[in-house]
Amino acid sequence: MRTKLTVWLAGLGIVIACVPVWAHHAFAAEFDAKKPIKLRGTIAKMEWINPHTWIHIDVKKPNGKVERWMIEGGPPNALYRRGFTKDSLPLGIEIVVEGFQAKDGSMRGNGRDLTFPDGRKLFLGSSGTGAPLDGREGKER
Amino acid sequence: MRYRSVAVGLTLAAASGIAAFALTSAAAGNSAAAPASEAKNWTPARTAWGDPDFQGVWRYEAAIALERPSRFAGRELLTDEEVARSEQQEKEQESKRLAGEEGEAVGRRSVAESPIRGNEYNSFWQDHGRPRKVYRQTSLITDPRDGQIPYTPDAQKADARTAARYGVGPYESYLDPDTGERCLTDGVTGMMWQGPNGGHNRIVQSPGYVTILHEEYRDRRIIPVDGRPHNGIRQWFGDAVGRWDGDTLVVDTTNFVDRTNYEWASIWTRPSETLHLVERFRRTDADTLEYTITVEDPQTFVKPWTAVIPISRLPDGTQIFEYACHEGNYAMPNLLSGARAEAGKKAASR
Amino acid sequence: MPTPLRRALIVIAAAVAVGGAVWTQVPSTSRGGDDPYKAPRTADGKPDFSGVWQALNTANYDIQAHAARPALALIPAPPRTGIAGLGRATPIDLPAPAVRPLGAVGAVPAGEGVVEGNEIPYQPWAAAQKKENLEHWLERDPEIKCFMPGVPRATYMPYPFQILQSSDVILMAYEFAGATRTIHMNSVGNSPSQSWMGWSRGHWEGETLVVDVTDFNDSTWFDRAGNFHSDALHIVERYTAVSPYHLMYEVTVEDPKVFTRPWKMQMPLYRRFEKDKRILEYKCVEFVEEALYGHLGVIDPATGRANK
Repeated sequence: MRTKLTVWLAGLGIVIACVPVWAHHAFAAEFDAKKPIKLRGTIAKMEWINPHTWIHIDVKKPNGKVERWMIEGGPPNALYRRGFTKDSLPLGIEIVVEGFQAKDGSMRGNGRDLTFPDGRKLFLGSSGTGAPLDGREGKER
Repeated sequence: MRYRSVAVGLTLAAASGIAAFALTSAAAGNSAAAPASEAKNWTPARTAWGDPDFQGVWRYEAAIALERPSRFAGRELLTDEEVARSEQQEKEQESKRLAGEEGEAVGRRSVAESPIRGNEYNSFWQDHGRPRKVYRQTSLITDPRDGQIPYTPDAQKADARTAARYGVGPYESYLDPDTGERCLTDGVTGMMWQGPNGGHNRIVQSPGYVTILHEEYRDRRIIPVDGRPHNGIRQWFGDAVGRWDGDTLVVDTTNFVDRTNYEWASIWTRPSETLHLVERFRRTDADTLEYTITVEDPQTFVKPWTAVIPISRLPDGTQIFEYACHEGNYAMPNLLSGARAEAGKKAASR
Repeated sequence: MPTPLRRALIVIAAAVAVGGAVWTQVPSTSRGGDDPYKAPRTADGKPDFSGVWQALNTANYDIQAHAARPALALIPAPPRTGIAGLGRATPIDLPAPAVRPLGAVGAVPAGEGVVEGNEIPYQPWAAAQKKENLEHWLERDPEIKCFMPGVPRATYMPYPFQILQSSDVILMAYEFAGATRTIHMNSVGNSPSQSWMGWSRGHWEGETLVVDVTDFNDSTWFDRAGNFHSDALHIVERYTAVSPYHLMYEVTVEDPKVFTRPWKMQMPLYRRFEKDKRILEYKCVEFVEEALYGHLGVIDPATGRANK
């Protein structure tokens, strides 16, 4: 971990800053890299929880049946600090999910790539300059 | 948090007004970093009752690895060139992240190359809205001088074992995922600079106390600074007592519980009954907290080691949010279910 | 009567009047007659409530007045007649098998309740839901799973909590499940999402700390008796020092999805004034994993044997 990878990348001449990988995610124990999925569905429910959000989508199959899938996302708190809220992704919106299916074959997967049908990624950019809850300070209830 | 220590670029970020961290010779257990001559002797404001004021929400915003990557063996500081290059790269990567790019463009490996490790989710989940900072240190560890954790042979084996089984298993019961995956904690040692969401800490001061609210796992340390002794009750976060040494907060923590038989994402954070931490918090300017930690535990390390971490203050009004991990831990039953499915397949194929 | 004695008697009479009034009025700064107690001030001139506090009542068992009960989970008493060979039947419900070995440790003590008027004004559907919650306490009470207790349950759980007063925020640090509340004393934006402990905004009204809490999820209970709320819950707390060792705590509960009108709870909070008193860790997640996950893995750690 410390030596092999470092040497290889150094050889490429790339200075890649150390990226904290998604720890605490025994990912390979939950999802199967041999079972890629690509789903298109409408959002039925979104759980804004840590360390993983869970997006429940209704996927319409070609035969007309609707399947409810649970898609694991990343943590929401950085999004909150960039001004997004639980209302930023309303119910009924259609999204495309690419990822891998659960190891036990159930209708669950990770949402590695979350986009709108036109290809734009969700939660792009910040609502402001990265300052927290831009423009929302001072709004009393 | 497991850091994959690939090549690290560091710089003297004078432009952002952050003090340089020159490394003095580090006697065992001593704080190694002293401000370079460029940093002024900055005095923090006082709280209403006269303590140095460290309040606010803080985050570690650099990419210095804990242990020095072999690429920088023998070098404690980077050159100005390397530093400038890294700064430029961080700026570019940030704007690419905001534009929705993935992979190498934003400092990750490509999906084709590594579909799982490092590419589990789009970058937007971890974008904090500003580029990472670059410092001159080649490792957070300043003592020992080689920048490596001085593990005991047994702990070295435990570390290797953890790396080997991560994501691989076996995952036979809830005891097999690490303490973070169990929504317990990541421990105290790395708390000021690590965390799945980027390591946010809110410091709140009141007379006689300094309270640190860590966002991840809602870890909380209420540190008395009124001169009282340790109370001797063993806890996951030990029993911390603090005192002011001029403008530096010094915290001594002992009386940890023994959880060495649990899986930890990083062995170096695991508490044992012989773990002893000495931390020094010094606010070197309005935006920077210099955090020094000396870690001593004969069960895990052959000698104490010290790390110096520059932590950045986030804008006024930044919040840390509730972290209800255990309350929504779907990953645990999913992970166990996956392991049972695999075990079932293996049994069926015999 | 000599003047010092008269003075002493007036003081005693006033103390009795205050003591007697505890359950019928909240001390207010505008109360006429005797001077209401004024807490010492913080460095920035606010009443100082810092310290470790604890409620001493049975509200966490049941916020309403209740007789003692055999257990937290019950099976209905068998009928008086119709059991062959049995001369008489027990008149009380019996502890459910899961809690039976706990004996008196698992029983519910009597309590006067903390609800003003002792009535919780549920809408009809919600009254039925509460009853069902109580019957399914063992599967449903979030306390059992070490979930965050919400507000105001966190205040009257049987553990101490600490108030830490800074100038911008007041922290309430609870032992159970390590739950913490940040009470914003200056203006703050809106909560981006729902949460277990809500989003707290505080301000001072004379001697009283008033905290307005919103943005709850629907997952917490008020007690072990199945009293619940929806995500429309709105809580207003009032903390007032009535002596150096007591806060009076009053809560107004409002939830238009569940109740027909707002209602109130009230109780004293007692200072834990032991020297160097701290709140301690109660990291109960570790304690409940076997119950939640023991049967889900390949092997059950409690037995070392494979799960079927």
